[in-house]
Amino acid sequence: MDKEDNKIISLHNIAKIYQMGQEKVFAIRDISLDIYKNEYVAIMGPSGSGKSTLMNLIGCLDTPTFGKYYLNNQDVSNLDDNQLAKIRNKEIGFVFQTFNLLARATALKNVELPLIYAGISHSERIERAKKALESVGLGDRMNHKPNELSGGQRQRVAIARALVNNPSIILADEPTGNLDSKTGKEIMSLLNSLWNNGHTIVLVSHEEEIAKNAQRIIKLRDGLIEKEIINPNPLAYSN
Amino acid sequence: MKLSALIEILREVFDSLIANKLRSILSALGVVIGISFVILMGWALATLDLAFEKTLDIIGTDMIYVDKYDWSGGKSWKIIRQRKNITLRQAFELINRLQSAELAIPVSRKWMPNVKYKNEKFSGLITTGTTYEYALTPAGTINQGRFFSLFEDSYGMDVAVLGSKVAETMFPNDNPLGKIIKIENHNFVVIGVLDKKGVLFIDFIDNQIFIPLKSFISIYGEINRSIEIAIKSPRVEDLENVKSETIGLMREIRNLKPHQEDDFSINETEMFRSSIDNIATYIWSIGIGMTALSFIVGIIGIMNIMFVSVTERTKEIGIRKTVGAKKINILIQFIIEATLLCMIGAIVAFIICSIIIFIAAIVLQNIYPALDFVPKILPFKLFIISAVIAFIIGILAGIMPAIRAANLNPVDALRYEN
Repeated sequence: MDKEDNKIISLHNIAKIYQMGQEKVFAIRDISLDIYKNEYVAIMGPSGSGKSTLMNLIGCLDTPTFGKYYLNNQDVSNLDDNQLAKIRNKEIGFVFQTFNLLARATALKNVELPLIYAGISHSERIERAKKALESVGLGDRMNHKPNELSGGQRQRVAIARALVNNPSIILADEPTGNLDSKTGKEIMSLLNSLWNNGHTIVLVSHEEEIAKNAQRIIKLRDGLIEKEIINPNPLAYSN
Repeated sequence: MKLSALIEILREVFDSLIANKLRSILSALGVVIGISFVILMGWALATLDLAFEKTLDIIGTDMIYVDKYDWSGGKSWKIIRQRKNITLRQAFELINRLQSAELAIPVSRKWMPNVKYKNEKFSGLITTGTTYEYALTPAGTINQGRFFSLFEDSYGMDVAVLGSKVAETMFPNDNPLGKIIKIENHNFVVIGVLDKKGVLFIDFIDNQIFIPLKSFISIYGEINRSIEIAIKSPRVEDLENVKSETIGLMREIRNLKPHQEDDFSINETEMFRSSIDNIATYIWSIGIGMTALSFIVGIIGIMNIMFVSVTERTKEIGIRKTVGAKKINILIQFIIEATLLCMIGAIVAFIICSIIIFIAAIVLQNIYPALDFVPKILPFKLFIISAVIAFIIGILAGIMPAIRAANLNPVDALRYEN
């Protein structure tokens, strides 16, 4: 297959400017980046380097001030809020540092959430959500609420939620940041196995160890790509 | 938006309302009060309508009453007072000449007469002189004994028929029939008691003592007395005919020139409508003011609580948006929450008002038996009306917080920490 056809994410000279009072802040100055199907990419950088902004842009939570963003060859740089919501629902699975689960809802309901907004019927939703929870090893915890689950389990619920609508990419923002190192390793190995199963993963982390699981590590500084490292030995951390 | 998403929203909203029970109850209080006003007002107006219908039944939609006085109160009191009395002679001339009427009965009243039974004096009564034909009008139906006869009538015998209230007051534990009462120190035999008639606006009719017109005139005299003539049309449709004939004859009898205005009034049930309307307007103007006020309070209360709810759930909104909720999904979620809160308020108000009205109706009837027609059960129509109002209030109160929620930026919302 031609490599161009496998391009999932394509950023062309992206810039993001925030207005802070009188001052303009360049969160991202000029970034161009391609990510291909079934790639495992880590984005690294100190705080203030623009990695959060980049992650929001890639996740279609925000739009760039300048430049073009193609997701699955579709230009998503100028979409409105509702169109972006649809793209997020269909194309992107989010995994956050703070899990971001609905506190009042059960694990099952949390995993169902993207399917509700996709307009999928109740019975199909339940079926798919159960399957996703089983695939992350929580088949026996479906009716537990987040406060009845451990940190690692909560993150598994979040991963199940990210997977449930078969997105093009899984976007993991510091997925181990709130976990102890043992649980963190478990979560990383789960993400790694997703990659092995053909998913495309974009990992945002400031930890070298975590980033070393990826095939390609992109280091940001001051809103620019400082360097790009091809990792010859991915999946190191979990093993 | 798909139905499944809507059902999901309803479930979520219920969860959220139940999770914040006390807050939900307090914020719905304004709506409960507002809806209660609407229900009580509706009930008062419905009662008024019933009173009106009852009144019509007694006055008779097929009746007109020729009188010096105007029942509607629309005419200037000064002009009416200057009218000449309708004399007994004029009354009988009208009665004799009237062709189109089925019945025409002279009636004369003395307010506050001196009435005694066994040396006990009774106040607040009315002596009414009329003829035997009064028994044929809707107001003259007999409950006990009989009305006076043509014979007693034409000889002006000392017989009396009591209104139900009179019988109750004078003979609380006794059979009034055959008893001798004193009217202005004349002895009268009680021969009958009328059915209970009185309703809200014409409750005086149960306070009347009916005696033959001749006896009445012999006691009270003819001078300074204006006679009223009750006229019954054969059919309701003929009422206009009867009316125009009556007016023509009365003008002739009273020697009115063509340019002169009528110096008498033709009273009919229609006239009660205006006094009913006046009271209804009064109830409305008070009710509307209070209702509007409590609705404003209610809307502000719910709006406030919805703003709090939106703020508290910023993160939740962020999560929902991140996984694909569109603006409309969030908007509807919060509007439904506000609407449901109002609906629950409406249901609570309906239950409270049902209890209040049930008790009030019973208490009122005990104090004031003329109000026995007051409905104890709220009409279902009022339930529908209050539900619709609650729905509208919910939308009004929910729209602004919902818009704020829908417009939250997912990035900022996710970052929000309580």
